[in-house]
Amino acid sequence: MVALVLCASLFGAGLYVVMTRREIIGLLTGVEMMLGAANVQLVMLGAAVGGTGATIEAAGLMVLVVAAAEAAVGLALLLALYRRSGRSRTDELNEVNG
Amino acid sequence: MTLLLGMGWGALGVLVIAVGAIFGVWWERKVSARIQMRLGPQQIGPAGSLQMIADVPKLLFREDIIPARADRTLFKLAPLIVFAPIAIAMVVIPFTSGWAPMDMSVGVLFFLAVPSIESIALLISAWASHNTLSTLGGLRGAAQLISYEVPRSLSVLPLVLLAGSLRPLDIAQRWEWWWFPLTLVAFVVFFIASLAEMNRGPFDMPEDESELVAGYFADYSGMRWAIFMMAEYGAMIVASLFAATTFLGGGWPLSGAAGTVLMVVKAVALVTVIMWVKWTLPRVRPDQLMSFCWKILTPLALIQLVVVGVVLIWL
Amino acid sequence: MTLEVIAFTLAGLLAAGGAVAVLFVREAMRLMIGLGSFLLGVAGLFLYFGLPFLATAQVFVYVGGVLVLMVFAVMVVHRQADDRPVMEVRHDVGAAAVALAVTVTIVACLRSVVGDALPTPGVYSGVLADELLGPKLLVFEMAGALLLTGLVAVLTIREGEDR
Repeated sequence: MVALVLCASLFGAGLYVVMTRREIIGLLTGVEMMLGAANVQLVMLGAAVGGTGATIEAAGLMVLVVAAAEAAVGLALLLALYRRSGRSRTDELNEVNG
Repeated sequence: MTLLLGMGWGALGVLVIAVGAIFGVWWERKVSARIQMRLGPQQIGPAGSLQMIADVPKLLFREDIIPARADRTLFKLAPLIVFAPIAIAMVVIPFTSGWAPMDMSVGVLFFLAVPSIESIALLISAWASHNTLSTLGGLRGAAQLISYEVPRSLSVLPLVLLAGSLRPLDIAQRWEWWWFPLTLVAFVVFFIASLAEMNRGPFDMPEDESELVAGYFADYSGMRWAIFMMAEYGAMIVASLFAATTFLGGGWPLSGAAGTVLMVVKAVALVTVIMWVKWTLPRVRPDQLMSFCWKILTPLALIQLVVVGVVLIWL
Repeated sequence: MTLEVIAFTLAGLLAAGGAVAVLFVREAMRLMIGLGSFLLGVAGLFLYFGLPFLATAQVFVYVGGVLVLMVFAVMVVHRQADDRPVMEVRHDVGAAAVALAVTVTIVACLRSVVGDALPTPGVYSGVLADELLGPKLLVFEMAGALLLTGLVAVLTIREGEDR
């Protein structure tokens, strides 16, 4: 129960970060927090619904891999955007053609 | 449970590294002196071995300068973050053939993963100094660190294949003498990649003494600088101990307490080779560094892995 | 207070402390340190649940890889100017309410599955390789393909910048 509340509140904190920060780095941080909290929750509930240790670990590993790949691509996009327009905040990036 | 035990052993590792750094500095000064055809420290203690004990008060009494525009909290925190992963990585090394301070079932992966925190520490220390030279040194250093993690990790895998387990104790106990010629290429790749991982030897571009004025730790004086140095010597000791127990078979012909002594002798020999390489070879250029890592070391490690994988069938 | 409770509390505090830092700091590098603490706390939680491989993979991939990338991005984008740039946080009651609602929903839905006590620390089973190279081989290969796709995507984006 304590662990469930902890993971859920970490997820909620990540959601709050995504909603309130303007910089793209902040958004990526919030997304990583949400993915991390969700991963821990997945692993924690895996035993409760009767998965074997290896299946739970494989599932957690897949989530980890997907989240890492998404972070890498997101950061590449951020750098490309910054190089092209010199801006890194979502409220400044509101023009389509430069 | 394992978490807490590991933390306790990590604290002990700090002590071991501190003692090791004292002798390491003395040994380095002697080795470099002989290579440069001079004698090195001779006056304090037998053969100058207590020189570091004279150096420590000097470092403690140095004025603690923090640059005006530096980020004070990060500046003070950075040396500790640089030092901690190395002390932690030491706890999985099997010191005798039946005992490691922390017997983790994924010990080899732990040993490879924890020093990857070094790259963050390096970037934070470069950022905290708030000057251009440090930032340049930090970016170069971090790029070097994360690139050379790949051949370093790949080169340990042939041993894991041969032993059939990620536990360092299993590798130490199942080691056979003919593993060494079989994994010789992997040993060389691990050695070179570890040199690059600790910013040491011909790969010390981030702390370019002649160009960047000590790069990412340029603004650290006195005891803060001493912590960076202890981290470097600690990394040398840890990497040499790991290579001695896994690639060179620990205390192989002997066993028990004599085996542990022989393992320490092998580790000291590797440390001497590291120092020898630093004082003999010229520094590697940044572009040479990256091409060397990706075009030479990584393919070599992969080829070695394939060779061991094929040979494994006949074992 | 058994040792297990202490271990769980430590890992939880590390994660929660990092999350609090991420919520409230206004400087880019401290945000990264908060995220680093959070990721190490998650690794500690994985270790508590008896999955050491996943914990070390988390440290290796996230703290040693993704966090380094993010710190690189911070150093490039939030360059240290003469006046240190400060990130703003628009604290918003509506956003807090939404986040709280999501949290409460998750807890309410899953409370029946999880017991009331602290989850027992797991014991390592050690047959991950059999699982990944056996029944889950397709998933494993797809993960590798995904990583390769990500690598090619980053290279393409990087190449597109130079034009």
